Amino acid sequence: MSEVLQSTAPSTLIGQRIPKLDAPDKAAGRTRYVHDIQLPGQLYGAILRSERVHARILRIDTSKARALPGVSAVITAADIPDQRPIGVVKDNLPLKTDRVRSLRDEIAAVAAESEELARHALTLIEVEYEDLSAVTDAADSLLPGAMLIHPPIAGAKSGDPVGLAGRDDNIAMRFDYVHGDVGQGEAESDVIVEDTFYLHYVTHCCMGVSGVIAEFDAKGNLLLYSNTQVPFLHKREFAEYLHIDPSRVRIIQPPIGGGFGSKLDIYPFEVICVYLARATGRPVRMVYTREEEFMASPTRQPVRLTLRSGCKKDGTLTFRSVHTLHDNGAYTSWGATTPVVMMQAFASLYRLPHCEYHTVAVYSNNPYAGSFRGYGNLQATFAIESHMEKMAAAIGMDPLAFRLKNAHVKGEETGQGNIFRSCGFQDCLKIAAERSDFLHKWREYTGKQKEPGRFKRGVGLAAMLHVGGGAKIYQSDGCGTIIKIDDFGHVTLITGASEIGQGSETVLAQLVCEELGLPISAVSVVNNDTEITPWDVGVHASRTTFVAGNSAIGAARKAKDKILEAAAPRFACAPEDLDMKGGGIVRKATGEMLTNLPRFIRSLHFAQQSDLVITTNYYEPPSVHFDKGYKGDISAAYSWAAQVVEVEVDLDTGAVRLVKVTGAHDVGRVLNRLGLEGQIEGGVVMGQGYALTEDLQVEGGKIRNPNFRDYKLVTAPEVPQMDISFVESMDGEGPQGAKGVGEAPAISMAAAIANAIENATGVRITSLPFTPERVYRALHGALPELPTTPKVAA
Amino acid sequence: MNHAVERYLAPTSLTQALAVLAESGGATVLAGGTDLMPQSRAGRVKFARTLLNIRRVPGMDMVEVADGKLLLGALVTISTLVDHPLVRDHAPLLSQAADHFASDQIRNAATLGGNLCNASPAGDTLTPLMALDAEIELVGLDGTGVLQSRWLPLDGFFTGPGRTQRKPNELLRGVRLPVAPDDQKVAFYKAGVRPALDISTISIAFAARRRDRAILHDVRLALGAVAPTPIRARRTEALLEGKALTAELVRVAAASAASEATPIDDVRASGWYRKELVLNMTQRILEDVGNN
Repeated sequence: MSEVLQSTAPSTLIGQRIPKLDAPDKAAGRTRYVHDIQLPGQLYGAILRSERVHARILRIDTSKARALPGVSAVITAADIPDQRPIGVVKDNLPLKTDRVRSLRDEIAAVAAESEELARHALTLIEVEYEDLSAVTDAADSLLPGAMLIHPPIAGAKSGDPVGLAGRDDNIAMRFDYVHGDVGQGEAESDVIVEDTFYLHYVTHCCMGVSGVIAEFDAKGNLLLYSNTQVPFLHKREFAEYLHIDPSRVRIIQPPIGGGFGSKLDIYPFEVICVYLARATGRPVRMVYTREEEFMASPTRQPVRLTLRSGCKKDGTLTFRSVHTLHDNGAYTSWGATTPVVMMQAFASLYRLPHCEYHTVAVYSNNPYAGSFRGYGNLQATFAIESHMEKMAAAIGMDPLAFRLKNAHVKGEETGQGNIFRSCGFQDCLKIAAERSDFLHKWREYTGKQKEPGRFKRGVGLAAMLHVGGGAKIYQSDGCGTIIKIDDFGHVTLITGASEIGQGSETVLAQLVCEELGLPISAVSVVNNDTEITPWDVGVHASRTTFVAGNSAIGAARKAKDKILEAAAPRFACAPEDLDMKGGGIVRKATGEMLTNLPRFIRSLHFAQQSDLVITTNYYEPPSVHFDKGYKGDISAAYSWAAQVVEVEVDLDTGAVRLVKVTGAHDVGRVLNRLGLEGQIEGGVVMGQGYALTEDLQVEGGKIRNPNFRDYKLVTAPEVPQMDISFVESMDGEGPQGAKGVGEAPAISMAAAIANAIENATGVRITSLPFTPERVYRALHGALPELPTTPKVAA
Repeated sequence: MNHAVERYLAPTSLTQALAVLAESGGATVLAGGTDLMPQSRAGRVKFARTLLNIRRVPGMDMVEVADGKLLLGALVTISTLVDHPLVRDHAPLLSQAADHFASDQIRNAATLGGNLCNASPAGDTLTPLMALDAEIELVGLDGTGVLQSRWLPLDGFFTGPGRTQRKPNELLRGVRLPVAPDDQKVAFYKAGVRPALDISTISIAFAARRRDRAILHDVRLALGAVAPTPIRARRTEALLEGKALTAELVRVAAASAASEATPIDDVRASGWYRKELVLNMTQRILEDVGNN
């Protein structure tokens, strides 16, 4: 047992390349995901889903399934009289009663001794339907007399949610935003440009499919092994759905095989799994098949978007007016609320005196949309940054100068009330442009558009703004931390922040070790059990490094204060004269090592007046909630990025090859360089897939390609060359100056690629994706015209 | 996994395997399984009561050259088609096409015979083998248990999507094709949404003999994913046969190839786009052949 800690590490951990703490286990195949957990007596659950897009359920016969040996329970809505609707507006009964509204709808569920048996039992359940006409186009959903997806339910009590009361229209959610006076902005404009954009369906494609295990103990306490990104919110919600005290719900998160926003909501399968556990009195595991993952997971929300903006001849933006229509699908998940993020891009990405934004999300019989990395910002930024290019052309400015003219600088406050206390936007634009030789290439390729040849090169620039210091959506945007330093000087960092593969536990460990002067090996992280970890709002809004990081730093500082206060009398000095470095306590002025940490901790513990070093901290970012008009400084910091992409377009086939991405990201400060590069590279590729290959084909409510053969993720050969720069704007509130970056890299890729295709070919494409056929059609004028987005009166 | 399957057999001789196939109810044949499994999961293939794994049948993975022919057993994997020196030397078109096939992991399991019997109009080995005048051998047991063999030209083997001339009691034992002559020019083109790990939107396999930039002989042009089966574009072949490539001939031939394609709209592409691809890429292939 060595007590002398090595101090060969660099003097600071900040900015170093720290491998992820969970990487060795993952690389060696030792990580135990929910799929790998086998509890004694565990049963396996499976769900029977609707085979109709929109229909009445006339009859369900489960008798054959119940009779199958090895089947422990078969349940339908009739077996769960106390079902409560779930979802963002409580419009989704986990087991459908008399009507199915989309192909994925849950009708019955089985718990059996094996997964095979459970799935076989499903085939024995008979369901008789009466088809209803289906609404599978968002615009049709708005038409007078349109089939109602959630028609009013007789006998509903006032105040009942949509799932119990229904609605007399198909509007799931709407938002109306305004700052300034758009009429005045129009009057002041020299040029006004209007464009319509259509964004398609994509889905998360997490490597780990969805799964959950539910188990009740003899006292009726519920234990969930869940992949959720928001364990503390779900603890409360599950309790509500099950009519039990929240303190009786415990959520353990096994390592999660990818989240990307897909696990922000509770889905029917999770509640149904709990019903099965309750019905059988045994633990039940429910894990999706890959096909089910495609069919029954939330999608990124498809959006139609009409953007009208003006500027003066000198490039000053004057106003922007936006209408969007969102296909919500049959039920409401977080996808319906993405306009809250989109409006920030519309209102605040550039300096804009006048802005209005009106949007509705409408019910349809399509798959329902959830939250997905970027949360609407990919859709909004695709439109804005394509549109900016047209405006620049209209006044004869180059795309870089036009953006720089309108780009925010540090200290500005936007019409929406975002305050940019740190802002590296202008630097991002300049660095990305300079390192990619953007202007030179842009002019060169513009000149070559009409030259003969099969392959055309183009460059495109696009930028983005996203929250980087949390987002005050819930009552609190905070995170709690407990730090325990044991007799061997080992630190246990207990944080509310979940690890979903993004690397948060590594960066949090790093921040704590930096405060305590310890190597990264001196810390382990506990972050996955609501019975142990303090509260956190969840993994979303690129907030974990910022919020949980500040929380962890605060807890570490308290531990350090406690240690140095105890140490000061022994070394006949003031606590301020001491520091923790190199695994021990040192004299600040001279760096003299006074004692190593384990020995000192033991001397505190095994003393007359014994004490342990355990500290807690709760960090609440100094942001504010939106007011009723969606105005306010919702995040404690804001992140910026600019990306230049270079593409090669094959005129013979329409295939677009992404050659190079030059990105510049205002990340506040680089903490873990390795982790940061991983986030950026992964996000770039996710944005590339959104733009070029991924397309969840939904036709008549049916997903035509629910598999990795026909749903095409970007594969290794297409990953472009990347040149990523980091702008360190040193945010005053950020942990060591850092800002959130998790969602940022995916956001402007589609716009940059659209702009590059236009630079290469002279053809502007305003709908995604840029698959070879769609690009080829665009080059030959054979893409359908996009009708203007319908406006819906408030 | 699949409740239709009541019996799994993995015979170690061809006769045993054929005897199982001859039983009433037949059997679902498993070789690499790379198409069978996803197709059954998607509900497009129903398993018979017997699942017959033929991978232990000896001798069906042979690669040999004899009497001017390249012989390939049905169990030869796609990886072998990519890497084997005899295939690379004597059927470069096939080797080249195999290098567009799925991913390394799938190529290591997927077999030539499986790809042919699966009879997808988009199958990656189908068009090159048709352009190379391949023949296939079907074997089965007659009523007295004696092994019967018949050879068929590959062109004509396919009768529709997923359908072939193979009778339920027959196995495809192997493929033979003439070794590539010295003056053979070949080209393979496959279109997809991404450059790797994709099912072809269309594919084109071209082979012809040509010495010293002179006229073309033995022209073969096979098109994939543009009809219910892969097809030979025979009118276009006839247009090119015995001619020297001129810009005008290339243009006319490309238009002809497109007119021979009768593609449908499906999840991968529209028929219109497929015809455009046949037109553009036939033109590119012929231009490249003409310039080399």
